[in-house]
Amino acid sequence: MQFGAQYAIDSLDVEVQSGVTGLVGANGAGKTTLLSLFLGLRVPTAGQVRVLGLNPQTNGTQLRARIGYGPERNIVPEDMPVSDFVRHMAELRGMPRSEARGRASDALWLVGLGEERTRALGTMSTGQRQRAKLAQAIAADPALLLLDEPTDGLDPLQRDEMLALIQQVSREYGIDVVLSSHLLEEVERICEHVVALDAGQLVAAGRIADLVGDQQGVVVELAEIADQPEAFGQVLNSLRDSGLEVRHGEVAARLEVVGSDLDLLADLVRDALIAANARVIRIERRKRRLEDLFSVDAA
Amino acid sequence: MNATAKSDMSSAEIYDRGYRKYVGARSGVFGAIRSLVWQTIRSILGLGRSARHKVFPVIVVVIAALPAVVFLGIAVLLRDLGDNAPNYSDLFVFSFFAVIVFAAAVAPEALVRDRRDNMFSLYLSTPLTRSSYLGAKSIAVVGVMMIITLGPVLLALIGYTVVGDGPDGVGEWLKVFLGLTVASLLISAVMAAVSMGCSSLTDRRAVASVAIALLTIGGGIVSGMLVEMADYSNTYGLIDPLNTAIELAPRILGEVSEDTSQGRLLAEIDTSVVALGAAAWFAAGVGVLVYRYRKLEAI
Repeated sequence: MQFGAQYAIDSLDVEVQSGVTGLVGANGAGKTTLLSLFLGLRVPTAGQVRVLGLNPQTNGTQLRARIGYGPERNIVPEDMPVSDFVRHMAELRGMPRSEARGRASDALWLVGLGEERTRALGTMSTGQRQRAKLAQAIAADPALLLLDEPTDGLDPLQRDEMLALIQQVSREYGIDVVLSSHLLEEVERICEHVVALDAGQLVAAGRIADLVGDQQGVVVELAEIADQPEAFGQVLNSLRDSGLEVRHGEVAARLEVVGSDLDLLADLVRDALIAANARVIRIERRKRRLEDLFSVDAA
Repeated sequence: MNATAKSDMSSAEIYDRGYRKYVGARSGVFGAIRSLVWQTIRSILGLGRSARHKVFPVIVVVIAALPAVVFLGIAVLLRDLGDNAPNYSDLFVFSFFAVIVFAAAVAPEALVRDRRDNMFSLYLSTPLTRSSYLGAKSIAVVGVMMIITLGPVLLALIGYTVVGDGPDGVGEWLKVFLGLTVASLLISAVMAAVSMGCSSLTDRRAVASVAIALLTIGGGIVSGMLVEMADYSNTYGLIDPLNTAIELAPRILGEVSEDTSQGRLLAEIDTSVVALGAAAWFAAGVGVLVYRYRKLEAI
């Protein structure tokens, strides 16, 4: 997918599986562009896209009736009651008028807005609006749900609730979900599959369990010692010399050590700390995460 | 428990409500267009919205209907209006101000609101396309505008018929009715195109209103100055879109006179030139609208 001389998505060859799939990448990675290709709203410069077995370019109208889309942008028909909004969207996706009303109500109860259904969207909080966007997306019983940053602007508790809802929609009602997010942690939490993009290029795609593997590790945080400024570097080099994968991020004196044999890894960390006479603030066991995978790939 | 209570219990039913799969037929693009037309009409007329959104629609309807109601009242009271009865073309001219207020203050709501509220991108995620979206919006705007243009003349037709001044015979009556409908449709289509073309250029309703008012009122003032003060050809009356559109009515209804009073600068101009002028305004409005919506970002 090309805009002028710039490639928004380049050489992407990926198959999205059933279940909940996370579409991850930083802002500008091409996530929303990919969703617009799924919806048939953009024409790929080269290659082809098939969604639910249909070509979005030639069968866009038919396809979009089976897709529920929750946009990233804030949708505010301020004075429209949320039930009217959801019903209207269900009708647009092909529900008969009488059916749309009932389904709007059911979708609103499902997302927890049943009691608020007569309230105008303009009077709702960010969390409620995100739920309303999910309700309109599911009201017409889609086969596929495309959700663009559905947790944007939510506090941690609301985010947990939204992720649980998305998971529930997929598990209980068999709706496949593509969840676009720049937060790896939430993708890891509810998605079975992931498609990771970086500057329009595919970084990784597949089952999260397969991609992450069974590697584990520890986080070691050292105290900075004025008379021993080299301690951190000594520990880092020692562990790397031992053949371990070691990373240090933005937090000073914090190391992440990854390996498949946790016992051996722990021994090597202990020896390195003793040899460098380093002072430890904490050592914490951690499971390998999606973030690690992309850090390695990015490196 | 007495017998009545038993009876009440046995007639009680438990409804299996809640989110569920939908297996019925979907209404496709036609259903989507129908829903959008209805939603837009509601939005334009302020139905289901707060009182402030109903102010302009009510003003427009009152202004539009007032002359017809007054003449109808007089006709009923006097039973005979003699030569003072306005013809249908005059009633179209009387709706001049109502059409301007509608085109400038009410109709922009149909387009501007969707872009301001980010609804346009959501609409495109449904079976609607850019063209079917614009088609639905046009149907809604033209439809409501026809209430203003056709309503008063229909009222007059009925009134004249009741007092015995109407067309002779059913055939003639239907011919007049058809002529009024066609004239109303053409006037509404031209003015809807102008209004929607201007509305497509901005996300602010106030800006759209000013632009439309400038085009219609300003066009009238400029053409009047050119023709009446600077002695330019009456063809310059085509600068005014509304005057041009309304001038179609006498041509369709066979009420042509060369009386240039009531600001009818185009009364002496050949019908083909007037039709060409109206077509040009229609094409200009539609052209701007289509060009602008082709360029609008979907998501």
